[in-house]
Amino acid sequence: MNNGPRAPTSGQPWREGDAWHIDVRGRVPPEPLVAILRLLETVEAGVAVVVHHDRDPKMLYPELAERGWSAERIAGAPGEVRLRLRRDA
Amino acid sequence: MALATNFLGGVRSRLLPAYIPFRFFGAAVVFHLLAWLALLAGAPALPRFAGGLSWPLAALHLFTLGVLVMTAIGASLQLLPVATRQPLRTSRAPALVWWLYTPGVALLTLGMGLGRPMLLGPGAGAVLLALLLFALLLAQNLKGARGMLFVVAHVWAALAALAVTIASAAALVGNYLGLPLLDRGSALALHLPFAAYGFMGLLSLGLAYILVPMFALSPPPQVRPALASLGLACLALGLAAAAAFAGAAAALRIAAAGFGLAAVGLHLGLMRSAMRNGMRRQLGPSFVLVRIGWAALAASLVAAATAAWPLPWAGMPALFVLLLVGGWLLSFLFGMLQRILPFLASMHASGTGRRAPTPSALSAARPLALHLGCHLAALAALALAIVAESPALAAVAAGVGALGAGAFAMFFAILVRRTWART
Repeated sequence: MNNGPRAPTSGQPWREGDAWHIDVRGRVPPEPLVAILRLLETVEAGVAVVVHHDRDPKMLYPELAERGWSAERIAGAPGEVRLRLRRDA
Repeated sequence: MALATNFLGGVRSRLLPAYIPFRFFGAAVVFHLLAWLALLAGAPALPRFAGGLSWPLAALHLFTLGVLVMTAIGASLQLLPVATRQPLRTSRAPALVWWLYTPGVALLTLGMGLGRPMLLGPGAGAVLLALLLFALLLAQNLKGARGMLFVVAHVWAALAALAVTIASAAALVGNYLGLPLLDRGSALALHLPFAAYGFMGLLSLGLAYILVPMFALSPPPQVRPALASLGLACLALGLAAAAAFAGAAAALRIAAAGFGLAAVGLHLGLMRSAMRNGMRRQLGPSFVLVRIGWAALAASLVAAATAAWPLPWAGMPALFVLLLVGGWLLSFLFGMLQRILPFLASMHASGTGRRAPTPSALSAARPLALHLGCHLAALAALALAIVAESPALAAVAAGVGALGAGAFAMFFAILVRRTWART
């Protein structure tokens, strides 16, 4: 995975600051779930993931719990659900 | 899982409160046990059962209405908003559906078992009213749906099949009440395919397009084959409807079974692709039941084609119903329930602001393993009982099935207790 900052392209994660970002807006279920979980498998220890979603990803939370990750809502654009995911301590 | 409280408020407002879907699932668990007990009561007549008010008929409807449709209502009210991307407008109406439907099923099946039309009529009335209300709720949610249009199309088709199921059920009950609306043969020839393959079948196929990729963590299915499968299934149902009224019924039924098999072939190809390409390859023991269910679905269609000819063997109707309801629908449903119940419980428990339990921490492996063994043993013993025309073997099968139902009820009770303790 490239650690350098890059412009977001459709469906591809990008690094910004201390976190990987992924934009799954407009994608058909379960594509967002799969894309997010796939990204979680590749991120380095101690690095957070920021998810840009267009709805509350209800089905994601049990999968996060199984993998030892937590989700927190953070401020996002109007109409966006933005989550910060991090590994449980 | 540490989710901010304000966020959880938002998440929870878009979910039906947990007690609503779990009320349907809980009722299904109880009716499952009652169904096997009714089958035990009807064991002497079971190997050559071909209809009529009796305990085998009551058991059949405890399985179909009490377990399958009860679960389908709870699951679709919970899951369909995921596909349509819009929440249900009300939580009162689903609660009303439960209050109408549950006592209705109890009365209806008691009337069937005891042979009392006076119980049958009010029970059927409550069930039909509840199903109409459920159909209205679903239709409201489907209107203006965004995304997963092939799932939405399956549910619309299932609702159309439900309308035929309700009309044919009303005609069948009317016959017992001295109000003949349609001759019994035609009503039955509509009721069975439209209830099992139409309403329950299309709903199962549609929800599988959400659930299987979600469990396997795979991309969504291809749209064209999914729609082609639906088109073939609808064509098959149309031919089955024509067979209920037209001449050349045998040829129409064989053609219907052929188109049904083609539809199932396409569907299973998509399911296989989802399971092969998913991130999660090991889907666990629950998918043993799901796979058996799919095999039984195909076998039931072969049996349906075979049964189109007037065969000398009187056990064929009972064997066909066993494959259709027990082999396919019940196996598929319990396989899905084993996975989805802990998942949904975890999803609801995450709304407390505390660390959410993992689905595996809420589940109970031993009762599920016992249920799996008993379910398969009971189905095999029932098939043998029909072939050997043995009421004693049918009674043993029903006893083993009841033990499995008790084990599943234990799993459900453990799940609810663990979830309750964490919320």
